[in-house]
Amino acid sequence: MIKLFVLICLGMQVLFAQTDWEKWGKADIPYTINSGTVSRNYSIGSDNPGQIILKSLVIGYWVIISDVDGDNCPFSPTCSSFFLQSVKETNIVQGTLMFADRFTRDMNTFGRLSHYPISRNRHLYDPPTLYTLDKDKIKYIPAGVIVNE
Amino acid sequence: MYSTESRRLFADYLYCQKDYLRAIDEYQEIAGTAGSDTINFKIGLAYLKIGKYEPAGLSFIKIKENSYYYSNARLEFFKTQFLLSNYDTLERNGDNLLPVKQLNVFSYLLDYKTLPVKNKLLSIFEGEDRRAVSDFYERKLNPPYKSELTAIILSTLIPGAGKIYTEEYSDGIIAFIVTGIMGYISYTDFKADHKLRGWVFAGLSTFFYAGNIYGSAASAQIFNAKVNFKLSTDMKLFIENKDYFIPDYEFCK
Repeated sequence: MIKLFVLICLGMQVLFAQTDWEKWGKADIPYTINSGTVSRNYSIGSDNPGQIILKSLVIGYWVIISDVDGDNCPFSPTCSSFFLQSVKETNIVQGTLMFADRFTRDMNTFGRLSHYPISRNRHLYDPPTLYTLDKDKIKYIPAGVIVNE
Repeated sequence: MYSTESRRLFADYLYCQKDYLRAIDEYQEIAGTAGSDTINFKIGLAYLKIGKYEPAGLSFIKIKENSYYYSNARLEFFKTQFLLSNYDTLERNGDNLLPVKQLNVFSYLLDYKTLPVKNKLLSIFEGEDRRAVSDFYERKLNPPYKSELTAIILSTLIPGAGKIYTEEYSDGIIAFIVTGIMGYISYTDFKADHKLRGWVFAGLSTFFYAGNIYGSAASAQIFNAKVNFKLSTDMKLFIENKDYFIPDYEFCK
């Protein structure tokens, strides 16, 4: 039994050993701790009246509902952030349509893991750039792949 | 201990142990000595193994014409250019080497250049390879894309149908159910003379309906991107399994 345990431990070491490049290559060591959670920007950060109204509504949602409810959105960026980014990326009408589509997909709990890549914070990676209808912006990433964003 | 021969033997040992980075360091220490073509060739191979294609290409290009490894180095150089997606270099294949011509065929299939006539491309392949390349050619020429317009029309007629057409079955069904439920609630509210609630749910139903039509078009685009991705991945895997049509060297027996 002990021998088997030792063998498994050794086997795991061999399987997950570093490559030479990781071992000897230069690495920039970050000294900050990455919590892996999504950081939110609560500043309005725009002079556009439309953006100010929209961001205020979203900040209101974050403060009153989302932050109290916790990190429950399965997607990254979250649906509210997706809405803001979509509007910024396109315009209010297209951004709203993108959000409506995302909201419908959010209600679908079937086969998500076999459909979306995974973000660094272990959420389903679904950026708005995929849905702007601009083919050049679509960067297809297969399902299950971990994206460092 | 630090004689050129000892260092070469040590570098060869590191290379065979797949410790390529340290092997490169050792080879570079003795690169200026006798037999430097062989050393440059091995440096190039070591860089290739760790995915550093640019320095690999530079090492291969240093090898002189009278060297034993010259023809192999030319092949390896073109391989690095292929991996760097410098497809124009393959086009200018002055040496007229067969493996380079074969790689050039894949550059046509991987790139968005106009495809030459099929028979012309296939003429340099035989047997299984010919069949595989023919299959890739057909997939490139007639990709099983989904039409955005069809997806939009289908979703306009039946909510969610466009998503089902783009093979997002569960998304399509959910869109149909959500839009349907919102519409039904709105209908019953209006029927019961609850006008405000009726309008709220009518708005929500429209919101999901319009979002689904838009999403179907986006879904068709993503489906097409997936088709392109799958084809290029299959081709890259095929070339990798064929070792880029280049003969294998056995330095480590």
